Amino acid sequence: MALDFDRSILGQVFDETTFPPVTKEEILEFAAALGETNPLYTDEAAAARGPYGGLVAPPTFVTKLRAKKFMPEHLPRFGKTGFDAGRDLEIYAPVRPGDVLTMASSIHDIYEKTGRTGSMYFIVIRNEVRNQRGEKVAVIDHRIMQR
Amino acid sequence: MNILYFEDIEEGDEIAGLDLFLSKDLVRRYARTANMYFPRFTDDEGARAEGLPGMIAPGVMSMGLLARMISDWNRAATIIRLGTTFRNPVLPDRMIHLRGAITQKNEADHTAECDLWMENDEGERWVVGTATISLPTKL
Repeated sequence: MALDFDRSILGQVFDETTFPPVTKEEILEFAAALGETNPLYTDEAAAARGPYGGLVAPPTFVTKLRAKKFMPEHLPRFGKTGFDAGRDLEIYAPVRPGDVLTMASSIHDIYEKTGRTGSMYFIVIRNEVRNQRGEKVAVIDHRIMQR
Repeated sequence: MNILYFEDIEEGDEIAGLDLFLSKDLVRRYARTANMYFPRFTDDEGARAEGLPGMIAPGVMSMGLLARMISDWNRAATIIRLGTTFRNPVLPDRMIHLRGAITQKNEADHTAECDLWMENDEGERWVVGTATISLPTKL
């Protein structure tokens, strides 16, 4: 299948989801599920004496945010099956309890690679996360491979 | 508690690794907390129905564990970028080995580039990645 799609969709925000306020319990459970022992993520009292002045979420916490719409409605499928091929995460500001996060999703890129088993198509969804003050918290590029 | 400053690390240094038994219960717990409680991450039958050999760990769990390795190695390191490629499905109920090394020091902003990976007992790298970390300085 040729890589045939309307390139004007690139960069257009197709979903914007605002999440309920982040809770302390959510941060503690996320950290515990990864076996984190860093007091910044696990111990409120110790974190209060640390560089952030309070508990913050582990760096990959933002990857748990689920947009209402994962893909644009009219994006063609480039293959029968899809795999999670990877993520690129850039972190700009810590996530703290009480933060209200909003994630804007767009298609950042679509490209083709040819391997031994044939063509693979990569769709890169860019998720930009901001907090209630409008500060950029993180950008997560999510690569999905279809073939 | 490990605190390493920018001056304490050198290009080529290994990041202290993390070896852990990735039980199915650990994966389910992560899947629950990360809003990913889907059959492929929770039970073998559900995963097989999706064409997988058995239940797998979410890619972002591997990413989170690589971030934890950095935090365990150096409490003073702040991850400012973390990129990962999920090369193979990560199958639970076995040992996984998280490893890393410093590949470049950036004097201008006291950051360092790292290679990171997760491998199985056979040394197959299931997840590979790179990170940029920011470090405090003694200056």
